[in-house]
Amino acid sequence: MIIKNLTKKYGEVQAVKDLNLNIEDKEFVVLLGPSGCGKTTALLCIAGLLIPDKGEIRFDDKVVTNPERGVYLRPQERGVAMVFQDYALYPHMTVFKNIAFPLEVRGISKSEIEKKVKKTAELLGISQLLGRKPKQLSGGQRQRVALGRAIVREPKIFLMDEPLANLDAKLRVFMRVELKKLHQRLGTTTVYVTHDQVEAMSLGDNVAVLKDGVLQQVSTPAELYETPKNTFVAGFIGSPPMNMLEGNLVEKDGQLMIDLGGNTFELPPQMRESVKQAEGSSVTLGFRPEHTTLAGKRKENAIEAKVEMIEAIGREAHVHLTVGNYPVVAVTSPAEDLTVGKIAWIVLEKEKIHVFDGKSGKILA
Amino acid sequence: MNTRVVVTRIVLYILLIFFVFVFLLPFWACIVTSLKTDADVFTTTPIELPPSPTMAPWMRALNALGRPLEISFAFTAFATIFSCLIGSINGYVFSKMKFRGSNILFLFFSIGIFIPYQCVLIPLVLTMARLGLYNNVVALILTHTVYGIPICTLLFRNFYKEVPNSLVMAAKTEGAGTWRIYRSIILPLSVSMFVVAAVLQFTSIWNDFLFGLVLLSGSNLPASVVLANLKGTTTVSWNTLMAGSVWFALPVVIVYLVLGRYLIRGYMAGAVKG
Amino acid sequence: MIAVLILFPSIALVGYFVYVSIGWNVIVSLSAWLELRPDYRIVGLSNYGYIFRMSEFWISLQNNLLLILLFVPSSLLLGLLLAILLDNKVRGEGVFRTVYLLPFSLSFVITATLWSWMYNPGPPAGVINTLFGQIGLGFLKTMWIDNPSLALYCVIIALVWQFSGYTMLIFLAGIRSIPESQVMAAEVDGARGFRLYRRIILPQLTSSVLATFVILMVFALKAFDLIYILTGGGPAGTATYVLSLLMFQQTFALDHYAYGAAIATVMFVMVMIIVLPYLYLSSRRKEE
Repeated sequence: MIIKNLTKKYGEVQAVKDLNLNIEDKEFVVLLGPSGCGKTTALLCIAGLLIPDKGEIRFDDKVVTNPERGVYLRPQERGVAMVFQDYALYPHMTVFKNIAFPLEVRGISKSEIEKKVKKTAELLGISQLLGRKPKQLSGGQRQRVALGRAIVREPKIFLMDEPLANLDAKLRVFMRVELKKLHQRLGTTTVYVTHDQVEAMSLGDNVAVLKDGVLQQVSTPAELYETPKNTFVAGFIGSPPMNMLEGNLVEKDGQLMIDLGGNTFELPPQMRESVKQAEGSSVTLGFRPEHTTLAGKRKENAIEAKVEMIEAIGREAHVHLTVGNYPVVAVTSPAEDLTVGKIAWIVLEKEKIHVFDGKSGKILA
Repeated sequence: MNTRVVVTRIVLYILLIFFVFVFLLPFWACIVTSLKTDADVFTTTPIELPPSPTMAPWMRALNALGRPLEISFAFTAFATIFSCLIGSINGYVFSKMKFRGSNILFLFFSIGIFIPYQCVLIPLVLTMARLGLYNNVVALILTHTVYGIPICTLLFRNFYKEVPNSLVMAAKTEGAGTWRIYRSIILPLSVSMFVVAAVLQFTSIWNDFLFGLVLLSGSNLPASVVLANLKGTTTVSWNTLMAGSVWFALPVVIVYLVLGRYLIRGYMAGAVKG
Repeated sequence: MIAVLILFPSIALVGYFVYVSIGWNVIVSLSAWLELRPDYRIVGLSNYGYIFRMSEFWISLQNNLLLILLFVPSSLLLGLLLAILLDNKVRGEGVFRTVYLLPFSLSFVITATLWSWMYNPGPPAGVINTLFGQIGLGFLKTMWIDNPSLALYCVIIALVWQFSGYTMLIFLAGIRSIPESQVMAAEVDGARGFRLYRRIILPQLTSSVLATFVILMVFALKAFDLIYILTGGGPAGTATYVLSLLMFQQTFALDHYAYGAAIATVMFVMVMIIVLPYLYLSSRRKEE
């Protein structure tokens, strides 16, 4: 699927701005972002339920949407199937009829329909529910019926709009795994929308991060984690989120340092070239909570901080500190000997720090 | 793709406007006729504008309907107020108090909404005669209040069910008694429902014909009956009749245009006339 | 118990004016009261026998049934049509809705006066005859409500005009209560337009359709005001007679209180036959 320059306005708001995305066959792509970032709008355009103001969408070599050239294929002509956040099951039909509906609309013979529906139900483990109506089902069961309705058509593309959002936490984790297994089995190209970055990281081959209708970065989950392109992506991915400290670049004795107010942090020499590309002198230093160690005594190139609170959550401890006025979180093993109110020193792993331009938020090194 | 959509939209609007024409036609003919001189009624078609508009029919109609309209206003206003108040209190009791027989009693009231009035008409006339209220406007006030209680009770009970019980319980723990709770908590919350019930009751009581016909006579007749009598004569003065219709319909139309969405809420809750 | 105390006045009033009155009416129907002075001698069911032998009774019953068969479905269909038309993101939807619903808020007296002018055979020619003449359908001009075979249908048309706004309201609310995601899902599944309505939307409206159906049916059995004023039951004496009119005539014109009461009781039973099962079924369904 090729999406070019997709643009859509919703009333006063520019929902999607110039989205460009290439999706490979059989790929599982996640559109990730906070509410209102345009991901659902983009999905509806792909489905054909919304017509964009500008741009083009192509499946293989076929143009399915191009408002400027007057091309528009109706949803059922696109070979897409969609799963909605509230499942959108037809309450007056049994599970069997719900799943069978798209086939009936296509005029497929009754015996064929029966075969396909039964096969799909077995695949999803809901064969025993075929005679029931949606209101008699639990959330997880309804979700699987919605999946069944999408799968039974053997579409070329799956579109999913936050399908796990209405499930409780445990079920969500379980269904995530099920979805991944399903994708491995069926191999259908999937575009998946969510605001949950854990879901995105676990399910996606590639994740496209959107903010306010603009694509921030599209990469594999690992790349997003290790090499975020700007502060937004860096702060959105990972939990607890990446720590960001603002400071100014200074040069001292031939070494590049960041002046963080009370602390100065020396940057590794290999960053020198790229960091110097900064527009001004203000930069943001980013480091993940899990890439820190805390020391009770002053260490070299460590950042001085005050311990505010410690959350002991079993296998790790989340230590909340303040550097000057900035909050910082560090993840350590619970055995660390730290006391609230005392000073600690944060040691950063050299290979895992990120420096962003203070003004634009873009990654420098 | 685009032309098909445009054609569909055009057809859609044509149909909608056609129905507007169908629905409004009787009103148009009515207003237009009501402004015509007696001669013009015969020399022009009913849908043409009046060649020499005159308010005479309106004055004539007002002459005939003046006192009946006052009478209608009187009993409609009182019966509306009474039935709404009683309905509100009853609704509060049914929704916020648990007591044995609550369901049966509610059913007892609800059946009263459906009965055809013919099956209580004779006893009603006899009762009013025995009470010395025959041909007395008070008879209508009493009648409409009583027959309005079931529907108002239903409306308010359903409305109060939506009010969280926690509000009532909080008040109780602060020592408020039943009447206090009703006055200080329930009543202020019910303003919108009062409008709905009042609007419904007003239109249905104002519009009523049967009770007025049967319980009143002569100079005490309500506007609905007098208007019908204007039509019942062998030679009808159409312009007067139409003008009279406008006078009679006016209060309801005003209520409908200004407070229409409350009326709609009432209709949706099942309060249907007839 | 304070609850019952508060409710007591209402219980007493409703109890008397509804239940006691119904009972009293039944007693009258079993009595010999056939002139101005009351006569409560019980004569058993002979009054019912009498009314069942009246030809006017069967004509009235037939007319009531015709109302059920024609008025109810027509109002529902027209209301459905209007609702479907309006469910299309129409500009000025509020205006259209206001116009269509206006007749429903008005008195039957108004409907009667307006439509008597519409149907007036003339002179002066009424609205419908005039319109037909003007658009070249002059051959369709007829006596309308003065024509015994057409009069009832004229009444039905006036009633459909009055009630369609209400049925439209119910349908529109029902259609709009269906979540948009279902409509989108259906579109993706391939169902649009007619099929969308038939398979997805309409089946979900059955409960509100049923309620409206019951309400209109009960009205068709009770209808009085409009017919009394528009046609008086005629032409030709009984062309548009209905049970409520017959009851009125017997009681208030002929002083045959016992016969009137009997007819009223028959009406009551007919209405209860429709309403009680419906109430029972719908309360059962609510429990599910």
